[in-house]
Amino acid sequence: MVKKFFIKGSIFIIILIAILSVLNPIFILKGGYTSKISQGVYEHTGKSYDILLLGSSHMNSSINPNVLWNEYGITSFNYGTGGQPIDVTYYLLKEILKNHENRDIIVVIDLYYLGLTEEFGEEEYIRYVLDSMKFSKNKLEAIISCTPRDQWVYYLFPLLKYHERWKELSKTDFNFDTRESYYKKGFAAGREVYGKKNLSEFTTESAEIPPKSEEYLNKIIELSQKAGFELVFINTPHDYTSTAGMKSWHKEPAKMFNKVTEIAQYKDIPFINFNNIYKEVDFNFESDMFNNGHMNIWGSNKVTTCFGKFLAENYSLIDHRQDVSYAAWNSDFLYYEKAESAATLK
Amino acid sequence: MSFNSINFLIFFPIVALIYYSIPHRVRWVWLLMASYYFYASWNPRLLIFMVTATIITYSSGILLEKVDEISDPKKSILLKKFIVFVSLAACLGILFVFKYLNFFSMNLLRLFSWLNITMNIPHYDLLLPIGISFYTFKALSYTIDIYRKDIKAERNMGKYALFVSFFPQLLAGPIEKSKDFLKQFSEKHIFDYDTVKNGLLLMLWGFVQKLIIADRLAILVNTVYDNPSAYRGFEIITANIFFAFQIYCDFSSYSDIAIGAAQVMGFRSTKNFEQPYFSKSIQEFWRRWHITLSSWFKDYLYFPLGGNRCSKLRNYSNIMVVFLASGLWHGAALHYVIWGVLHGIFQVTGSILKPLKHRIIKILGIRTEVFSYKLIQVLFTFILVDFAWIFFRAGSFADAEILISNMYYFNPEIFTEGTIYNLGLDFKDFMVALFGIGAILVINIWQRNKDLRVQLAKQNTVFRWAVYVIAVITVLIFGIYGSGFDAQEFIYMQF
Repeated sequence: MVKKFFIKGSIFIIILIAILSVLNPIFILKGGYTSKISQGVYEHTGKSYDILLLGSSHMNSSINPNVLWNEYGITSFNYGTGGQPIDVTYYLLKEILKNHENRDIIVVIDLYYLGLTEEFGEEEYIRYVLDSMKFSKNKLEAIISCTPRDQWVYYLFPLLKYHERWKELSKTDFNFDTRESYYKKGFAAGREVYGKKNLSEFTTESAEIPPKSEEYLNKIIELSQKAGFELVFINTPHDYTSTAGMKSWHKEPAKMFNKVTEIAQYKDIPFINFNNIYKEVDFNFESDMFNNGHMNIWGSNKVTTCFGKFLAENYSLIDHRQDVSYAAWNSDFLYYEKAESAATLK
Repeated sequence: MSFNSINFLIFFPIVALIYYSIPHRVRWVWLLMASYYFYASWNPRLLIFMVTATIITYSSGILLEKVDEISDPKKSILLKKFIVFVSLAACLGILFVFKYLNFFSMNLLRLFSWLNITMNIPHYDLLLPIGISFYTFKALSYTIDIYRKDIKAERNMGKYALFVSFFPQLLAGPIEKSKDFLKQFSEKHIFDYDTVKNGLLLMLWGFVQKLIIADRLAILVNTVYDNPSAYRGFEIITANIFFAFQIYCDFSSYSDIAIGAAQVMGFRSTKNFEQPYFSKSIQEFWRRWHITLSSWFKDYLYFPLGGNRCSKLRNYSNIMVVFLASGLWHGAALHYVIWGVLHGIFQVTGSILKPLKHRIIKILGIRTEVFSYKLIQVLFTFILVDFAWIFFRAGSFADAEILISNMYYFNPEIFTEGTIYNLGLDFKDFMVALFGIGAILVINIWQRNKDLRVQLAKQNTVFRWAVYVIAVITVLIFGIYGSGFDAQEFIYMQF
């Protein structure tokens, strides 16, 4: 009788979980980030990309895969999502690598979020990634490591978080089409001009990285050694004073990035701190920034061109532009160009 | 931990699983540990009062039996009465200090100031030990049952402590009497598939009532009752009707989860609610509402006072005493007292007017066995009960006054113009709330003649499983729980 109960109970729970896993994607809040995780992690797999671009919103608005393609014939995808903490980046990277052939792949990570001093990132930011990840060992580990214990069940079954959405569900929730925006390859930058000076104070001193950030930075480095991919760190142009009033942020980001430079040198990993090379990039903070933290499309074009040059000079990447099997990249670029010029006209 | 928390959903299966895996003779130890842990999860320091009430009533039980052996009957009875008095005084004393001291001192102050006497009575900020009214009544029933020789004293203090603290019933009943429940801790409960399944089903039904209906109705009810002067007419009437179903679903869901959880572990509990809103009189309502409390009052207060085997006047006063006590039991505030007194008045008036009613029925030749007559009786009873609920739910007597005076206003346009949807429940939630009330009524009608779990068990597997799965998914989607999400918060300034 006990056996009967356990067998039936287990079947019941399996049915329930199966139904929940169908309902979860319908109920989650959808946006541009939902699409990109789906596109870049699950829809375009195998040898789709030479370069994987990861990080927070700083990454999202900096390296433009279409520019890299147009100028250097390099294939890449931008996985940057708003407020993505470094621990989430680590598990997302693992999940991406699971679905992509990682031999010869170059992983570029923006390190702005090393500055987070809290144990966990903001829930809504973490959810941009975790809600879109399919159930897997990586997702489970991510939930355990990146979210508070009392919230685990809500990340595991997002329906429990979003159940109130039953009254606002629309056709889009049932037929969410991620293909439409793929031509952007995950990149998005604004078209406003910040118009103010950079108030950062640059220094040669260094300061410790918050412990959890450092732990995950090391984990990423270890992973690169184990999985055999090339790693590149970047820090995109931003005003260090933009985080000055934040309680949960490193008080001296300039010094923290100097520490990163030391670690990167020691580990022999390239680290490009764009904040220190405005001249080389021909970067004008006032006109190339969208706000004090993020670049606009013109700033991004400059940084991407500079970064593409770095990649082309330092790695043996093949220019795929003439390869017919990459024709879709060309047509996507044309579509992108058209959309961009339409936006400029506006 | 409350029943509708994730903690309980983890706690309960572990307790039940271990309960069935360990030998019968130590199961009470496990349940006692689990019950004390359950209570301590609210506030471990308040355990001391439950332990004190347990020790007092346990010792009084042993002493009562000892004293009973004294050969001098006069001395024996005197001593027995003394022991019962001490036990009752001690338990009720703890209850009084925590629940009623401030209420009485405040009213004493009012009385003195009315008499122009200045007094300084200190006010204590005491945290009311959760569940104290429930476990105190259980403990008292034990002392009285032994005094009346209805049961023998329990020698095993642990088992008795478990009776007082048994976690499914600890916070909101059912208030089991020792003569019905205590012996079950010595029974051997063998794992029975159907019993466990039925217990789980009852718990699931409890969650449906609580999370989908009660907590949804509460949103509108709270809006109106928290700011009574801002609303009138149909807004108040809607809130009042919603409250009638909120408190029913809330309370009966708690009982269902408690009874279901106990059933999973093989315990048989007393029914606590039986379609109360289909009662045809206030008297019947109290036979169907919070049955274990009514039965407690009947057994330990109404009958000892003389019940109805006395003069009419005495009987009426007994009824009033019981309902006054019931009002106070529900809370130490004037509006609870008025609520109780109102129910007493309803019953006494009903009783006084009974001959007149019969005469009118006879003269006018009204047929009382037909549906329409019964329907009117049910509606009339509901209106009385619902009117009294105003006093129960209002934050104070003054609030109740405002609500009643503002209620007499004709504003049906709130339904057509949609302002009713500004009280916390938008159109869709309001419809779910109405559907929930409808579902409760339909199910209550079915329950009058049939045991729904038996009926469900007769159906084919696919249908049964579909019902189970849909019920769980419906609770997960339509339940009011969790922190929710703020769409604004989720819309990140991308650049």
